[in-house]
Amino acid sequence: MSKPRTPVLKVSHLTKAYGPHVIVKDFSLEVFGGEAVALTGRNGAGKSTILRCLVGADRPDSGLIEVCGEKLRESSPTIRRHLATVIDDLDFFPDLSVVEHLDLLARAHGLPDCETAVDAVLHEVALVAQSGQLPDTLSSGQRRRLALATAFVRPRQLLVLDEPEQRLDVEGVEWLAQRLKAERDQGLAIVMASHEPSLVERVATKTVRIQERP
Amino acid sequence: MSKRSRRPQARKPAPPKLDLSDLAAEDAAVDSTPTDDQSDEFVAPVWQHDLLSVEPDPVDERQLKALMSTWRRGRATKRLSQVLQDGYVAVFSVIVILAMLGGAVWRAQGNASACESTTCQVGRTLLPWVMLCAAFSLTLVCARIFGPVVASAAEGFWLMDAPIRRARLLRRRLIGVLVAVALGATAMGALLAALTGYDPPRIVQWAAALGLGAAGLTAFSALEQTFARTWLIKLVQWLSGLSAFVALATITAVAAGWVDLTFDDWGSNQIVIAVALVGAVLLLVFGLAATLRLDQIHRARLVSGGSLVSGMQGAMFAMDLGLMRDILVARESMAKGHVRPTYGVGRGLSALVWREVQRLYRYPKRLVLWFVSLGVPFAVGALGLRTFSPFISALVLLIAFVPLLGSLRVVTRTRGLIRGLPFSNPQIRIALSAVAAFLALLWSVIAFTAFYGLGQPVTSFSSAATTSVLTAAAGLLAAVRWVTAKSADYSNPMMQVGFGAMPPGLMFNLIKGIDIVVVVTGPLLLGWSHWISVFIVGVVIFALSGRFNTEEMQQMQAELQKEKAAQKSGGPRKVIAPPKR
Repeated sequence: MSKPRTPVLKVSHLTKAYGPHVIVKDFSLEVFGGEAVALTGRNGAGKSTILRCLVGADRPDSGLIEVCGEKLRESSPTIRRHLATVIDDLDFFPDLSVVEHLDLLARAHGLPDCETAVDAVLHEVALVAQSGQLPDTLSSGQRRRLALATAFVRPRQLLVLDEPEQRLDVEGVEWLAQRLKAERDQGLAIVMASHEPSLVERVATKTVRIQERP
Repeated sequence: MSKRSRRPQARKPAPPKLDLSDLAAEDAAVDSTPTDDQSDEFVAPVWQHDLLSVEPDPVDERQLKALMSTWRRGRATKRLSQVLQDGYVAVFSVIVILAMLGGAVWRAQGNASACESTTCQVGRTLLPWVMLCAAFSLTLVCARIFGPVVASAAEGFWLMDAPIRRARLLRRRLIGVLVAVALGATAMGALLAALTGYDPPRIVQWAAALGLGAAGLTAFSALEQTFARTWLIKLVQWLSGLSAFVALATITAVAAGWVDLTFDDWGSNQIVIAVALVGAVLLLVFGLAATLRLDQIHRARLVSGGSLVSGMQGAMFAMDLGLMRDILVARESMAKGHVRPTYGVGRGLSALVWREVQRLYRYPKRLVLWFVSLGVPFAVGALGLRTFSPFISALVLLIAFVPLLGSLRVVTRTRGLIRGLPFSNPQIRIALSAVAAFLALLWSVIAFTAFYGLGQPVTSFSSAATTSVLTAAAGLLAAVRWVTAKSADYSNPMMQVGFGAMPPGLMFNLIKGIDIVVVVTGPLLLGWSHWISVFIVGVVIFALSGRFNTEEMQQMQAELQKEKAAQKSGGPRKVIAPPKR
């Protein structure tokens, strides 16, 4: 008899309210390796709130979140090792260049051949020409690419993305879809919120439509 | 053809008069005209006002300015007197604090003037020069960063592109800046001379020298702004800073007994008067030249300074000095734009530490204040204020260490970046403070001689060593507290104070960092056992390391309360088995 698989992400009865306004109520989800779940729905439906709870940026009012079998604690090094995120609260060091950010992350995660990995990701996100630029001088699209690169340059088991297609050009969205699909096929678990039908269609193995609460 | 489509052709061309009320009436008339045939296709009205051939009347900039002032005043909801009446408790508190500060200055002046040793005399002669040169350098830095002539984004968009004479709009602004700088620097000069122990006539001379000199240099910066040049300002700024450093090093050398110097008091006096006169000449000449060339300042330069001012104002209203520094750092990095990338060293936590070392190598300017701080205990001792040396030195170290803890600031202000690093919060904090901690240790070794007293020891070896280490620790921990402290939380319930509602923690924002300096060096100042300060340092390290996570503790508390509530409401109860006999 085969051993039951442990979900990479397990969310049970998640509820989150801002004051009297309940944004998410009794939300449950299980994501296994090799699965990609897309959260869709209108603006304000609560997609980003769910993702913020999943990465520990917001604390749910009730419910349980587990990553790789461990209860979610944002400050836990184990969770941080497994979980790569691109949500709206990413900041950059103002005095480190694009390539130095990626190098620092790769080294911090103990990647054996950092320079090759960093160069590969830099080419992939088309930021080679900007490798020496400081983040404050990048365009919004380039900052988005850098944010995505920070998630791709390090080892991970779960990738949480909030509208990753934002501010990307057509080629960028195409690249992102290919990349996420390849990652998923290699066994990565992905949870993303998106308004881009082509991205959802190509990447997601499961789509969860979040209804706006009255 | 319908009336709607015919109407514009039937009308005479409108007179070339630029009157907005006429245009609005015109549009309304076109829209409300009844049509014979409702199914007729919509035809856009023909624009009647040929602006190309309009000869605009010359604009009176003063009237424009007066109009803007009227609008601004019209939006005010309170007069200044009303605000002061509402906040009489706060005003009274400020007056009491100022009176206390005045008393402290008076006492310090008494102490300083009573000291008649050679070291004290050299210190009294040179320390005001250190402060004067440092103040001039600071004036130039501020003038260069802000403008010194600025315009708000709205003014830049609406006014600076209009066919007006910018100089007439900006003249009063330039004069306002020069007056403000002169007054501020005069007050600072007077305070400085008073603290040094000078008599009233010399206090006036020093106040005039600092006020006129700073205003003259600001006028010089304004003139350079009209040429869109900064290199000359930077050169003078560095020369001024270097002079301050040399003067401080001289005091240190004399205090340490390395050199034997005496200064002619009369000569120093004459130089102060000369500085005041040169400052006045600079103010007049450069101020006049800048006024004549105000039209030449680029709009982008005016607006960028204005947006910086408004950003700083916003941060100042929130009493968030950290945010103010963040704005300046972001601006500096935008100005730099590009660096020569370097690959890091090491793996894991050591990669973070090595990156800090590389940062320091890339930006050695960040060490300038640290170097300056090395001379502070010597200088303070030279003035005969040895008792206050740990407190004053730790305050200067607080300022010196903040630029060295930039990475720590970034990872604590938003959580996105720290979430990507596979370490606990205490590990990250320690790694990002390691270089600063090493420099603190180095500082304590070098500054030991100041606390011990070269040639003629003033205290025991162990006492001087502990004081030196504790002072360095106080400065470092204060800087860590300063960069990691959270901003005031406006989402929580407000506190009621004299001026109205205020978020909790807003007032503490101003003293963050200083509080650590006070609690660590306080026992040293009061002559208590050093072990008290050592214990306080231990507690502060524990609190600042990030192990004391209040949010997680609140979460655990909330979960416990929920469990208790569930048990009370008849939920599953734990049955305690009776002990086996």
